[in-house]
Amino acid sequence: MERRFYFLAGDALSNAIMGMASAWLATSIVDHTWHMLTAMLAGMAAGMGLSLILMPLFVGLFGAMEVMLPVMLTAMLAGMAFGMADSMYVLTTLEVLLGGGLSGILVLLLTYAADVIMHGKRL
Amino acid sequence: MEESTRSKWDFSSSFYDLLAYGPERRWAPYKRDLFANMNGKVLFVAVGTGQDIRFFPPGRDIVGIDISPRMLVKAKPRAANYTGSLDLRVMDVHKLEFFDHSFDQIVTSCTFCSVPKPVAALTALRRVLKAGGMLYMFEHTGSYVFPFNILLDVMTPLWKPIGPEMNRDTVVNVEKAGFEIQQVNNIYLDVVKTIVATSPA
Repeated sequence: MERRFYFLAGDALSNAIMGMASAWLATSIVDHTWHMLTAMLAGMAAGMGLSLILMPLFVGLFGAMEVMLPVMLTAMLAGMAFGMADSMYVLTTLEVLLGGGLSGILVLLLTYAADVIMHGKRL
Repeated sequence: MEESTRSKWDFSSSFYDLLAYGPERRWAPYKRDLFANMNGKVLFVAVGTGQDIRFFPPGRDIVGIDISPRMLVKAKPRAANYTGSLDLRVMDVHKLEFFDHSFDQIVTSCTFCSVPKPVAALTALRRVLKAGGMLYMFEHTGSYVFPFNILLDVMTPLWKPIGPEMNRDTVVNVEKAGFEIQQVNNIYLDVVKTIVATSPA
Protein backbone atom coordinates (compact mmCIF):
# COMPACT_ATOMS: atom_id res chain seq x y z
CA MET A 1 0.00 0.00 0.00
CA GLU A 2 1.07 3.58 -0.63
CA ARG A 3 3.12 5.03 2.26
CA ARG A 4 4.44 8.34 0.87
CA PHE A 5 2.82 11.33 2.57
CA TYR A 6 2.36 13.37 -0.62
CA PHE A 7 0.27 10.63 -2.25
CA LEU A 8 -1.64 9.68 0.92
CA ALA A 9 -2.58 13.33 1.45
CA GLY A 10 -3.42 13.67 -2.25
CA ASP A 11 -5.66 10.60 -2.15
CA ALA A 12 -7.50 11.91 0.90
CA LEU A 13 -7.86 15.40 -0.55
CA SER A 14 -9.07 14.15 -3.94
CA ASN A 15 -11.68 11.84 -2.46
CA ALA A 16 -12.89 14.32 0.16
CA ILE A 17 -13.29 17.09 -2.44
CA MET A 18 -14.96 14.71 -4.89
CA GLY A 19 -17.35 13.46 -2.21
CA MET A 20 -18.27 16.98 -1.15
CA ALA A 21 -18.70 18.25 -4.70
CA SER A 22 -20.80 15.24 -5.80
CA ALA A 23 -23.04 15.39 -2.74
CA TRP A 24 -23.53 19.14 -3.17
CA LEU A 25 -24.30 18.79 -6.89
CA ALA A 26 -26.74 15.92 -6.31
CA THR A 27 -28.64 17.88 -3.65
CA SER A 28 -28.66 20.96 -5.90
CA ILE A 29 -30.43 18.99 -8.62
CA VAL A 30 -32.80 16.91 -6.49
CA ASP A 31 -35.52 18.09 -4.09
CA HIS A 32 -38.20 16.45 -1.93
CA THR A 33 -40.67 16.22 -4.85
CA TRP A 34 -38.48 13.62 -6.59
CA HIS A 35 -39.04 9.87 -6.27
CA MET A 36 -36.29 8.26 -4.21
CA LEU A 37 -35.10 5.97 -7.02
CA THR A 38 -35.04 8.73 -9.64
CA ALA A 39 -33.19 11.00 -7.21
CA MET A 40 -30.62 8.27 -6.55
CA LEU A 41 -29.97 7.68 -10.26
CA ALA A 42 -29.81 11.41 -11.02
CA GLY A 43 -27.36 11.88 -8.14
CA MET A 44 -25.18 9.06 -9.41
CA ALA A 45 -25.14 10.47 -12.96
CA ALA A 46 -24.35 13.96 -11.65
CA GLY A 47 -21.49 12.59 -9.54
CA MET A 48 -20.05 10.62 -12.45
CA GLY A 49 -20.28 13.61 -14.78
CA LEU A 50 -18.58 15.86 -12.25
CA SER A 51 -15.82 13.30 -11.67
CA LEU A 52 -14.93 13.42 -15.38
CA ILE A 53 -14.42 17.18 -15.10
CA LEU A 54 -12.37 17.14 -11.87
CA MET A 55 -10.47 13.90 -12.50
CA PRO A 56 -7.73 15.27 -14.81
CA LEU A 57 -6.63 17.69 -12.07
CA PHE A 58 -6.36 14.97 -9.43
CA VAL A 59 -4.73 12.50 -11.84
CA GLY A 60 -2.16 15.04 -12.99
CA LEU A 61 -1.14 15.76 -9.40
CA PHE A 62 -1.43 12.46 -7.56
CA GLY A 63 -1.54 9.38 -9.83
CA ALA A 64 -3.50 7.53 -12.49
CA MET A 65 -5.50 4.43 -11.59
CA GLU A 66 -4.76 4.94 -7.87
CA VAL A 67 -6.72 8.20 -8.10
CA MET A 68 -9.25 7.47 -10.87
CA LEU A 69 -10.82 4.38 -9.33
CA PRO A 70 -11.54 5.62 -5.79
CA VAL A 71 -12.48 9.12 -7.00
CA MET A 72 -14.98 7.80 -9.53
CA LEU A 73 -16.43 5.39 -6.97
CA THR A 74 -16.71 8.23 -4.46
CA ALA A 75 -18.47 10.43 -7.02
CA MET A 76 -21.00 7.72 -7.84
CA LEU A 77 -21.71 6.72 -4.27
CA ALA A 78 -21.83 10.21 -2.75
CA GLY A 79 -24.08 11.38 -5.60
CA MET A 80 -26.37 8.38 -5.13
CA ALA A 81 -26.56 8.60 -1.36
CA PHE A 82 -27.12 12.33 -1.11
CA GLY A 83 -29.45 12.46 -4.12
CA MET A 84 -31.61 9.83 -2.44
CA ALA A 85 -31.33 11.47 1.00
CA ASP A 86 -32.31 14.88 -0.38
CA SER A 87 -35.53 13.41 -1.80
CA MET A 88 -36.52 12.22 1.69
CA TYR A 89 -35.05 14.68 4.22
CA VAL A 90 -34.16 18.33 4.54
CA LEU A 91 -30.35 18.52 4.63
CA THR A 92 -28.23 21.53 5.57
CA THR A 93 -25.27 22.50 3.38
CA LEU A 94 -22.93 21.59 6.23
CA GLU A 95 -24.45 18.10 6.52
CA VAL A 96 -24.13 17.59 2.76
CA LEU A 97 -20.50 18.73 2.59
CA LEU A 98 -19.44 16.87 5.74
CA GLY A 99 -21.26 13.70 4.71
CA GLY A 100 -19.90 13.87 1.16
CA GLY A 101 -16.35 14.38 2.40
CA LEU A 102 -16.61 11.50 4.87
CA SER A 103 -18.06 9.17 2.23
CA GLY A 104 -15.01 9.98 0.07
CA ILE A 105 -12.64 9.04 2.89
CA LEU A 106 -14.60 5.83 3.56
CA VAL A 107 -14.40 4.79 -0.11
CA LEU A 108 -10.66 5.53 -0.10
CA LEU A 109 -10.11 3.36 2.99
CA LEU A 110 -12.06 0.51 1.40
CA THR A 111 -9.94 0.69 -1.79
CA TYR A 112 -6.78 0.73 0.37
CA ALA A 113 -8.05 -2.44 2.08
CA ALA A 114 -8.74 -4.05 -1.31
CA ASP A 115 -5.26 -3.05 -2.46
CA VAL A 116 -3.64 -4.64 0.60
CA ILE A 117 -5.45 -7.92 -0.20
CA MET A 118 -4.51 -7.90 -3.90
CA HIS A 119 -1.00 -6.41 -3.73
CA GLY A 120 2.03 -8.52 -4.55
CA LYS A 121 3.03 -11.50 -6.64
CA ARG A 122 0.13 -13.36 -8.26
CA LEU A 123 2.23 -15.76 -10.32
CA MET B 1 1.61 2.89 -39.76
CA GLU B 2 -1.89 3.44 -38.50
CA GLU B 3 -2.61 7.12 -39.16
CA SER B 4 -5.40 7.48 -36.58
CA THR B 5 -3.19 6.12 -33.79
CA ARG B 6 -0.35 8.43 -34.73
CA SER B 7 -2.68 11.44 -34.88
CA LYS B 8 -4.15 10.60 -31.47
CA TRP B 9 -0.75 10.45 -29.78
CA ASP B 10 0.60 13.46 -31.70
CA PHE B 11 -2.37 15.39 -30.31
CA SER B 12 -1.89 13.99 -26.79
CA SER B 13 1.81 14.96 -26.82
CA SER B 14 0.86 18.59 -26.13
CA PHE B 15 -0.61 17.82 -22.68
CA TYR B 16 0.83 14.37 -21.93
CA ASP B 17 3.55 15.55 -19.54
CA LEU B 18 1.05 17.65 -17.59
CA LEU B 19 -1.16 14.62 -16.91
CA ALA B 20 1.82 12.34 -16.30
CA TYR B 21 3.33 14.34 -13.41
CA GLY B 22 1.43 12.46 -10.67
CA PRO B 23 1.40 8.98 -12.23
CA GLU B 24 5.10 9.02 -13.12
CA ARG B 25 6.11 10.02 -9.60
CA ARG B 26 3.75 7.49 -8.02
CA TRP B 27 5.07 4.66 -10.20
CA ALA B 28 8.74 5.72 -10.08
CA PRO B 29 10.02 3.14 -7.55
CA TYR B 30 8.28 0.24 -9.31
CA LYS B 31 9.49 1.28 -12.76
CA ARG B 32 13.05 1.81 -11.49
CA ASP B 33 13.02 -1.72 -10.00
CA LEU B 34 11.67 -3.27 -13.21
CA PHE B 35 13.99 -1.38 -15.54
CA ALA B 36 17.00 -2.34 -13.39
CA ASN B 37 16.72 -5.72 -15.15
CA MET B 38 17.66 -4.16 -18.53
CA ASN B 39 20.63 -5.97 -20.07
CA GLY B 40 22.07 -6.67 -23.49
CA LYS B 41 20.40 -5.17 -26.56
CA VAL B 42 17.09 -3.74 -25.31
CA LEU B 43 14.01 -2.61 -27.25
CA PHE B 44 11.89 -0.10 -25.32
CA VAL B 45 8.41 0.14 -26.82
CA ALA B 46 6.42 3.40 -26.80
CA VAL B 47 9.00 5.72 -25.31
CA GLY B 48 6.50 8.61 -25.56
CA THR B 49 7.82 11.95 -24.30
CA GLY B 50 10.67 10.10 -22.59
CA GLN B 51 9.31 10.28 -19.04
CA ASP B 52 10.69 6.79 -18.37
CA ILE B 53 14.24 7.52 -19.51
CA ARG B 54 15.25 8.78 -16.05
CA PHE B 55 14.49 5.29 -14.68
CA PHE B 56 16.79 3.52 -17.17
CA PRO B 57 19.93 2.11 -15.52
CA PRO B 58 23.04 3.85 -16.90
CA GLY B 59 25.27 2.41 -19.58
CA ARG B 60 22.73 0.22 -21.38
CA ASP B 61 22.25 -0.30 -25.13
CA ILE B 62 18.63 0.66 -25.84
CA VAL B 63 16.51 1.30 -28.94
CA GLY B 64 13.34 3.26 -28.12
CA ILE B 65 10.42 3.38 -30.54
CA ASP B 66 7.18 5.33 -30.67
CA ILE B 67 4.44 5.77 -33.25
CA SER B 68 4.23 9.54 -32.63
CA PRO B 69 6.91 11.84 -34.08
CA ARG B 70 5.71 14.67 -31.81
CA MET B 71 6.14 12.52 -28.72
CA LEU B 72 9.69 11.74 -29.80
CA VAL B 73 10.50 15.42 -30.34
CA LYS B 74 9.75 15.88 -26.63
CA ALA B 75 11.72 12.75 -25.73
CA LYS B 76 14.93 13.83 -27.51
CA PRO B 77 16.29 16.22 -24.83
CA ARG B 78 15.68 13.53 -22.18
CA ALA B 79 17.39 10.93 -24.36
CA ALA B 80 20.36 13.27 -24.81
CA ASN B 81 20.89 13.25 -21.03
CA TYR B 82 20.96 9.44 -20.83
CA THR B 83 24.41 8.07 -19.98
CA GLY B 84 24.36 5.09 -22.33
CA SER B 85 23.31 4.29 -25.88
CA LEU B 86 19.71 5.32 -26.58
CA ASP B 87 18.54 5.40 -30.19
CA LEU B 88 15.01 6.82 -30.71
CA ARG B 89 13.01 5.87 -33.82
CA VAL B 90 9.50 6.52 -35.13
CA MET B 91 8.01 3.06 -35.63
CA ASP B 92 4.71 1.19 -35.42
CA VAL B 93 4.96 -1.75 -33.02
CA HIS B 94 2.78 -3.78 -35.42
CA LYS B 95 5.31 -3.33 -38.23
CA LEU B 96 8.73 -3.55 -36.61
CA GLU B 97 11.60 -2.74 -38.96
CA PHE B 98 14.09 -5.03 -37.21
CA PHE B 99 15.50 -8.43 -38.15
CA ASP B 100 14.21 -11.54 -36.39
CA HIS B 101 15.76 -12.19 -32.96
CA SER B 102 17.52 -8.80 -32.82
CA PHE B 103 17.01 -8.06 -29.13
CA ASP B 104 17.94 -9.72 -25.84
CA GLN B 105 15.13 -7.98 -23.99
CA ILE B 106 11.99 -5.97 -24.65
CA VAL B 107 10.59 -3.50 -22.13
CA THR B 108 7.18 -1.80 -22.23
CA SER B 109 5.68 0.83 -19.97
CA CYS B 110 1.95 1.64 -20.14
CA THR B 111 2.00 0.57 -23.78
CA PHE B 112 -0.45 -2.28 -24.23
CA CYS B 113 -3.40 -0.25 -22.94
CA SER B 114 -3.10 1.76 -26.15
CA VAL B 115 -1.73 -0.45 -28.91
CA PRO B 116 -4.68 -1.00 -31.32
CA LYS B 117 -4.03 -4.73 -31.92
CA PRO B 118 -2.31 -5.97 -28.77
CA VAL B 119 -1.92 -9.66 -29.64
CA ALA B 120 -0.60 -8.88 -33.14
CA ALA B 121 1.82 -6.33 -31.67
CA LEU B 122 3.02 -8.76 -28.99
CA THR B 123 3.50 -11.40 -31.68
CA ALA B 124 5.60 -8.89 -33.63
CA LEU B 125 7.67 -8.29 -30.50
CA ARG B 126 8.23 -12.02 -30.08
CA ARG B 127 9.61 -12.15 -33.63
CA VAL B 128 12.35 -9.61 -32.86
CA LEU B 129 13.16 -11.08 -29.44
CA LYS B 130 15.83 -13.77 -29.18
CA ALA B 131 14.68 -17.23 -28.11
CA GLY B 132 14.76 -17.27 -24.32
CA GLY B 133 14.78 -13.44 -24.28
CA MET B 134 12.90 -11.56 -21.59
CA LEU B 135 9.84 -9.35 -21.89
CA TYR B 136 9.41 -6.87 -19.00
CA MET B 137 6.13 -4.95 -18.83
CA PHE B 138 4.76 -2.25 -16.55
CA GLU B 139 1.09 -2.01 -17.50
CA HIS B 140 -2.35 -1.13 -16.27
CA THR B 141 -5.11 -3.55 -17.20
CA GLY B 142 -8.75 -4.30 -16.58
CA SER B 143 -9.81 -5.81 -13.27
CA TYR B 144 -11.49 -9.07 -12.34
CA VAL B 145 -12.86 -7.55 -9.14
CA PHE B 146 -16.19 -5.75 -8.64
CA PRO B 147 -16.74 -2.76 -8.70
CA PHE B 148 -13.38 -1.89 -10.29
CA ASN B 149 -14.12 -4.00 -13.39
CA ILE B 150 -17.36 -2.05 -14.02
CA LEU B 151 -15.68 1.32 -13.46
CA LEU B 152 -12.88 0.46 -15.89
CA ASP B 153 -15.41 -0.67 -18.49
CA VAL B 154 -17.30 2.62 -18.07
CA MET B 155 -14.11 4.71 -18.31
CA THR B 156 -12.74 3.00 -21.42
CA PRO B 157 -14.99 4.61 -24.07
CA LEU B 158 -14.60 8.01 -22.36
CA TRP B 159 -10.77 7.98 -22.34
CA LYS B 160 -10.12 6.05 -25.56
CA PRO B 161 -10.39 9.05 -27.96
CA ILE B 162 -7.44 10.84 -26.30
CA GLY B 163 -5.66 8.10 -24.38
CA PRO B 164 -5.56 4.48 -23.29
CA GLU B 165 -8.16 1.74 -22.92
CA MET B 166 -8.73 0.82 -19.28
CA ASN B 167 -10.03 -2.73 -19.53
CA ARG B 168 -7.45 -4.71 -21.49
CA ASP B 169 -6.50 -8.21 -20.31
CA THR B 170 -2.81 -7.82 -21.07
CA VAL B 171 -1.63 -10.93 -19.20
CA VAL B 172 -3.90 -13.10 -21.36
CA ASN B 173 -2.78 -11.20 -24.49
CA VAL B 174 0.88 -11.92 -23.65
CA GLU B 175 0.07 -15.63 -23.41
CA LYS B 176 -1.95 -15.53 -26.65
CA ALA B 177 1.09 -14.08 -28.41
CA GLY B 178 3.09 -17.16 -27.43
CA PHE B 179 5.13 -15.85 -24.50
CA GLU B 180 5.57 -17.85 -21.33
CA ILE B 181 4.56 -15.83 -18.27
CA GLN B 182 7.21 -15.95 -15.53
CA GLN B 183 5.75 -13.51 -13.03
CA VAL B 184 2.79 -11.16 -12.50
CA ASN B 185 3.16 -8.69 -9.66
CA ASN B 186 0.24 -6.46 -8.64
CA ILE B 187 1.30 -2.90 -7.85
CA TYR B 188 -2.20 -1.43 -7.30
CA LEU B 189 -5.25 -3.66 -6.88
CA ASP B 190 -5.17 -6.14 -9.81
CA VAL B 191 -5.02 -3.16 -12.19
CA VAL B 192 -1.45 -1.79 -12.19
CA LYS B 193 1.08 -4.59 -12.51
CA THR B 194 4.45 -5.77 -13.72
CA ILE B 195 4.56 -8.77 -16.05
CA VAL B 196 7.68 -10.78 -16.76
CA ALA B 197 7.59 -13.25 -19.64
CA THR B 198 10.01 -15.15 -21.87
CA SER B 199 10.04 -16.03 -25.53
CA PRO B 200 10.11 -19.84 -25.70
CA ALA B 201 13.31 -21.36 -27.09
